[in-house]
Amino acid sequence: MFLIKKLSSFATVIFGVLLLTFLLIHLVPGDPVEVMLGESASSADRNQLRADLGLDQPLIQQFGAYLAKLSQGDLGKSIHTKTPIIEMMKTRYPATVKLALLSLIIGIALGVPMGVYAALKVNHWQDIVVTLVSVRLSAMPAFWLGPMLMLIFAVWLGWLPVSGMESGASIILPALTLGFGLSAILTRMTRTSLLEVLNDDYIRTARAKGLTEQAVILRHALRAALLPIITIVGLQMGSLLAGTVITETIFSWDGIGRLLVESIEKRDYPVTQACVLIVALSYVLVNLVTDVLYRFADPRVRVSA
Amino acid sequence: MKKFASSILIFWLAAVVLGRLLQLNPNQIDLSGILSSPSFSYLLGADDLGRSILARLLRGVEVSFMVSIIVTVITMLVGVCIGLLAGFYGGKIDRVLMQITDVFLAFPGILLAIAFAAVLGPGLINLMIALSITGWVSYARLTRGQALGLRNRQHVLAAESLGASVPRMIFRHILPLLTSILVVEATYSLASVMIAEASLSFLGLGIQAPNASWGAMLRDGVRYMLIAPHYVLIVGLSLMSLILAINLGGDYLRDKLDVRTET
Repeated sequence: MFLIKKLSSFATVIFGVLLLTFLLIHLVPGDPVEVMLGESASSADRNQLRADLGLDQPLIQQFGAYLAKLSQGDLGKSIHTKTPIIEMMKTRYPATVKLALLSLIIGIALGVPMGVYAALKVNHWQDIVVTLVSVRLSAMPAFWLGPMLMLIFAVWLGWLPVSGMESGASIILPALTLGFGLSAILTRMTRTSLLEVLNDDYIRTARAKGLTEQAVILRHALRAALLPIITIVGLQMGSLLAGTVITETIFSWDGIGRLLVESIEKRDYPVTQACVLIVALSYVLVNLVTDVLYRFADPRVRVSA
Repeated sequence: MKKFASSILIFWLAAVVLGRLLQLNPNQIDLSGILSSPSFSYLLGADDLGRSILARLLRGVEVSFMVSIIVTVITMLVGVCIGLLAGFYGGKIDRVLMQITDVFLAFPGILLAIAFAAVLGPGLINLMIALSITGWVSYARLTRGQALGLRNRQHVLAAESLGASVPRMIFRHILPLLTSILVVEATYSLASVMIAEASLSFLGLGIQAPNASWGAMLRDGVRYMLIAPHYVLIVGLSLMSLILAINLGGDYLRDKLDVRTET
C-alpha cells in the first residue's frame, strides 16, 4: 500500500518535472531560435533548427514528441556540436556520480565520528569547538569553500592539483568541497540524534548491566541514533548533485554540472534542458529509494503508518 | 553570539554608508594598479582592472542586501498566500497546490534557479525573477502546515460560528500566530538568497560587469589566484563574515522566539 501510494506520487512529480523542463525553452524571451543561433544566422538555418526542435508545432504536440523521444532514450542533439546529448551524458554523468559518491563517503567519514564525539563531550569545550568549526565553517557555500581549499592546498601548500581531471588526485579538492558541506549537516544531526537516544531507558539498562561504555555507545546507542541519518544522507544527495554545478565549474571537473554551465554560456538550450532534467530525475529517484530503505531499516515507521 | 552577529552586520552597514559618503567609485579603472596588493592607495588592493576591491566590495554588499530583501519579501508574500489558501481550504485546492510545490521541490538546491536564470538571460532583474520563482515554495509549505493545524483551533472555529468572513479569519486569527515562525524563516531566507545570488553571479548568470557583485568578484579572484591571492582571500573572508552573522542571527531569533523547526 505504501509503495503504491509512493509510486503514484512519484509518477506525478516526474510528470511535473518533465513538463517544467520542457517548458523551459519556451520561457526564453523573444525567439529561442534567434537567441541560440545569434542574429546573423540565415533564415534557412533558423527554419531548419526550428523544425529540428519542433518549435513550429503546437505546444501539446511538442510535449508529446518530447516525451516520445525521451522514452526512447533520446535527449536531443547539441545545437553546436550536433552530438546526441545522450552520448555526452555517458562520460559526464559517471564523472559526477564518482565525485558525488566520494563526497558522500568523506561527508559520512567526517560527520558521523565528529557528531558522536561532540555528543559524548556535550557542553564541554570540545563540543563547542566541533560545533563551531565543523558546523559553521563547513556549512559555507561551495563557491566559498572551493576557492579557499584551492588557495590553501593547491596554491600555497602545492600538495594537490589546482584543477582539471588529469591526475587521480584531482578529485580530492572538489570532493572535499562537497564533502565538508555534507559533514556539517551530519555532525549536527548525529549529535542531536545521539543525545536524544542517550537519555532512553534501554541505555540506562545497558549501562546498569555493566557493559563497557564503548559497547553502550557503539552497539546500542549509535545503532538507533543513525537511523534518521539515512534520510538526511538521501536528502543531501540532492544538494550534492546541485552543489556539483558550482564545484565542477571551480575545479574544471568535466561532469554534468560543468556541462550545464557550459551549455548556458553557449546558449545550447537542448543541452541545458537535458542536464536539468537528468539531475532532477536523479534527485527524485534517490529520494524515493531513501524513503523505501528507511521503511525497511526502521520497523517502527512501518507499523505507525 | 548575538553581539558578535549584530556587530558584524552593523560593521557592514556602516561601511556601506561610509563608502557612499566618501563617494568611493567601484568602477574607477586604474591600469597602473592592476591586481596590486593592499597598500595606502588601495586599502584592500585592486582587481584585474585596477579597480578598488574595497569600493567594489561595498557596492557588492549593497546590491546583495537589496536583492535578498526584495526577493525575500516577494517570495514570502506569494508563499504565505498560497500556503494559507492550501491550509485553510484543504481538499482539492490543497492537493493541487501541494502537488505543484512537490514538483518545484524535485529540483535540488538552486538548480531550478540556475535553469530559469539561464533561459531568462543574465541581469539583475532576471536574477531576482529566477530567485523569486523558485523561492516561494518553502514559505508555502511552512505556512500550509501551520495553517492546517490552526484552521481547526477553537478560536478560529468560534470566529467562524460568529459569522467572521474568510479574510477576517485568515488575517485576524491565523496569520498573527504565524508571525514568529515567518520572521525566523525570513532571516534564514535572507542568507540563502544572498548565497544563491552570489552562486548565480559566480556562474556568470547574475549581476553583470561592470556592476560589482561578490559572486563575480570571487570568480575573478579564483581566476587570478596564482598571481594575486589577496583578491580571492579578501572577498572570501568578507562573504564568510556576512553569512555567518546572518545565520547566527537566525539561530538567535529562533531560540528567542522559541520556534520549532523540523529539518
